[in-house]
Amino acid sequence: MDKPRRYAKSHEWARLEDDGVVTVGISAYAVEALTDLVFMQLPEVGATVTAGESFGEIESVKAVSDLYAPISGEVVAVNAELPGKLETLGDDPYGSGWVIKIKPADVGQLETLLDQTAYDTLVGSESH
Amino acid sequence: MAADEALAHAAEQSGRVLMRLYGWRPDTVSLGGFQAFAETEQQPELAGWPIVRRPSGGGAIVHGSDLTYCLALPATHPWGRRPEDLYAAVHGALVEELCHRGVAASMVDAEVAATVADDSFFCFDRRAFGDVVITAAMAGAVAGGCKVLGSAQRRLAGVVLQHGSLLLRRHPSMTGAGSHAGLAEIIGGTGGDSAAVVVHWLERLAARLGGPLAEMAGVSWTADDPDLSRRVNRYAGAAWLRRR
Repeated sequence: MDKPRRYAKSHEWARLEDDGVVTVGISAYAVEALTDLVFMQLPEVGATVTAGESFGEIESVKAVSDLYAPISGEVVAVNAELPGKLETLGDDPYGSGWVIKIKPADVGQLETLLDQTAYDTLVGSESH
Repeated sequence: MAADEALAHAAEQSGRVLMRLYGWRPDTVSLGGFQAFAETEQQPELAGWPIVRRPSGGGAIVHGSDLTYCLALPATHPWGRRPEDLYAAVHGALVEELCHRGVAASMVDAEVAATVADDSFFCFDRRAFGDVVITAAMAGAVAGGCKVLGSAQRRLAGVVLQHGSLLLRRHPSMTGAGSHAGLAEIIGGTGGDSAAVVVHWLERLAARLGGPLAEMAGVSWTADDPDLSRRVNRYAGAAWLRRR
């Protein structure tokens, strides 16, 4: 069974892995809303990210959107294949479409994010 | 660009829809947020021109004969949820005004947009969903029309910033790839003068927003505003301009 994900209101997801690292990606809802992605800019491994602050950008033919860190910490891995294969974000947003991995400064920050039920409610309200 | 970002911040803080309209002095080229700076070197007409980079996407714009706008609205606004809705609202108001004047204006639909390459250097050579085009058999017409208004969005946490450029007339310094017919050349003699079009476009936009135009203004900054200074430093720096 998949590990539970937490979500930021800005539509990034976060998942705590067995090794204590948090994998971060973009929710399927957000990827679908962006549509026709053309470019993505990601941080370097070793960069420090802060919860709620931008760590990257993604451009679709309609808009440039910031990607916001759901949790503070150090970037320990970046999905380097993603910018050249943006369709992966839509094809497998919670698997091979992961974006970065963060070594959290305080893993307890995950508890401040939305759980699946709360996120589904948020998406439902935005869809109307 | 710093003032536009500050406008977005003010819209987020106040919960209001804010719009800023401006021209450029000196004439300047603005690059889309992800365009490679090196591409400007392949445009001999632009040698020596001041260049800035927008936070929004899209292609390069030669400013000086256009009217630029920045519209910022809270992401919770009904127009803020989907990119298409804000384009349709702003661009639709201009199409409405032009059609009212008997000008054959329309918004580019997704089908037409897919037929035109979206990697042209200049914004006005691209065709994206919602771009305002006027049917005209003129040099520069692509997919049946000349583009007179193009916009691009930056979606930040809690606020949407939409930049747009309404091409009022052909830029007098551009004779090559950067030369595009504007409202004056396209509708001159049939659709009235460009200034009147702009005024009525904004009135129609305000009507769509449900409020008088005067309430869309009212934000100002001073040079010693630390928040604005921070934004100015970012956009003025080489790291931002040459980020790609």
